[in-house]
Amino acid sequence: MNRRRFLLNALAGASALALAPSLLRARSLPSIAEAFASGLEANPWMAGWKSVAAESFGPGPATVEGRIPAELAGTLYRNGPALYERAGQRYEHWFDGDGMLHAWRLDQSGVSHQARMVATAKYRREQRAGRFVVPAAGTAIEGAEAIRNNDDMNTANTSVLCLGDRVFALWEAGSAIELSPEDLATLGPVTWRDELAAAPFSAHPLRDRDGSIWNFGSLDMLGGKGLLIWHLDSDGSLKEVATLTDGQPGYLHSFAMSERHLVFVLTPYRMREGKAFFERLRFAADLPCRVAVVAKDALAAPRWFDVDFGMVYHFADAFEQGREIVVRASRHGNPVAARSPFAAAMRGEVAAEEDPVELVELRIDLAGGSVRWDETGIRGTEFPTVDARATRPRQSRIYAPVRQGRALAPYPNAIASIDVHRGRMNVHRYGDEIMAEEHVFVAKPGSHRAGQGWLLGTLFDPVRGRSGLAVLDAEHLDAGPLASAWLPFMFPLGFHGAFRWDA
Amino acid sequence: MKSILACTLTAGMFAAGFVHAAELVVKVNDVRTPKGQLLMAVFDSAEAWDGKFEAVAKQALEASAGEVDFRFAGLAPGRYAVSVMHDENGNHKLDSNLIGMPVEGYGFSNDPQVMRKATFEEAAFDLGADNATIELHLR
Repeated sequence: MNRRRFLLNALAGASALALAPSLLRARSLPSIAEAFASGLEANPWMAGWKSVAAESFGPGPATVEGRIPAELAGTLYRNGPALYERAGQRYEHWFDGDGMLHAWRLDQSGVSHQARMVATAKYRREQRAGRFVVPAAGTAIEGAEAIRNNDDMNTANTSVLCLGDRVFALWEAGSAIELSPEDLATLGPVTWRDELAAAPFSAHPLRDRDGSIWNFGSLDMLGGKGLLIWHLDSDGSLKEVATLTDGQPGYLHSFAMSERHLVFVLTPYRMREGKAFFERLRFAADLPCRVAVVAKDALAAPRWFDVDFGMVYHFADAFEQGREIVVRASRHGNPVAARSPFAAAMRGEVAAEEDPVELVELRIDLAGGSVRWDETGIRGTEFPTVDARATRPRQSRIYAPVRQGRALAPYPNAIASIDVHRGRMNVHRYGDEIMAEEHVFVAKPGSHRAGQGWLLGTLFDPVRGRSGLAVLDAEHLDAGPLASAWLPFMFPLGFHGAFRWDA
Repeated sequence: MKSILACTLTAGMFAAGFVHAAELVVKVNDVRTPKGQLLMAVFDSAEAWDGKFEAVAKQALEASAGEVDFRFAGLAPGRYAVSVMHDENGNHKLDSNLIGMPVEGYGFSNDPQVMRKATFEEAAFDLGADNATIELHLR
């Protein structure tokens, strides 16, 4: 073919493409931000995934119905992704939004609320740019700028750790970000030890009976292998750090802790072509999960097991019974959907199929070396919490938002106290239109029996356009809230919180 | 064949300094802190980039938040790549944490979108006989 002929053909090809109907259609497709706006118009509950309207809220009073218990005086700190859109671009993954930290302060005088965006390096950089310029975990950002390390992507959007007088906003793959407990001003990322600057400190640390804190950080997500195990003293000093490596890439969002062991369940995955981590990730349901059981006094000597594939974001509690460890967890039934929870709502669409979540027990037989999942038949239990004082399954209740009866949104509308051991459930249903979030357990002062305490749970009412907080007696959920506190405005749904008593 | 030979000869003449050499200005943006020094090196081959030969030019400048400009005089026309690091604590190396993530600033010509050391090809640019200015962003 001569050069001239080739050029003509190429041009012909180009013009044919330019006029192809599919391309014309593609050009007229609305952006994700536009699709979300129209989805929201038809489905008011999608406001739970709407980009936050302000950089901060309050402090201001909430309207209280009922009575706050006399002994309950402190702050529920809550975190969650809040900023999803800039300059017409909308994130496609729920986990991408920049974190906003909320403080619900409760005492006899009432309930007040304050919130501020966590001023991470990412947030400040994009405030200056006026658009998204930092790569995100779940959305490809066109024209993203180069970043130094994982902390440049840190959105600090997942959970809260209260340690002594200090409060930290946590993310999955970077440093804990410290904030002022009083005015929620961002103090910056924390380096627990010099050589561990920017090392991942995940969003679900667990408090041991001595007050010390265990946590992990996944290295797989950062292109490394395995994970870091962190052990902090109750004063925030680093006691010990260890690495745990395995040949197979495994995803984990949280872990479980029994009296003497830490349990890490690594869900296998493969990476496809693409830009963002969650865009590339595919859970490998054809492979087993790897389970590491690590004795707290021998971090360098883990025992590894295989168990059938399962995808868990959140674990509830774990118990040692002789040579067996029983771990309770909320397992996702659809590994494809679990990669991006509420992806449809993020796009302004109603999901064609849901990702069923089931409360399961992972039974690890340390003597026989076998591990299995046991199903409980209890469904829809994401964001489980517990009273960590329970030492046996019979004492334990798992508190989880669930959906009961009619619901405006494909989201929990009730809170349940689940006694897995006896197969019983005690429920308070908030109503068709209320979306119920995680409920944090707070032990009653002076109480010793597991379960004696309150649940503090946040609520989202898209019909009346308000966000709120409920306080319930954990042993009498069916009696309904002791008190509810409502704000005259709403902000996006969040993820996790932690309670801190007033000094 | 003839033209390739001519090019080679010309390149050789430039290298030998028979013709006017260019000044290269490298503007480094996004310096996060005024602590320490910025250390820049200019390389003329992938081998040099990978540490097998010396850089053709090196320079250290005091850091100042925002922008710092480097000037390299007398560079022969050719293909170059520039790397820069922000030595905040004065230990003459790019500090990284226990898992190998850099914790001080660094950058490469062309600002390649990679979270590792760029390759020579990713960072390479052509410098002619005239003075030139390039910009890069510290990450």
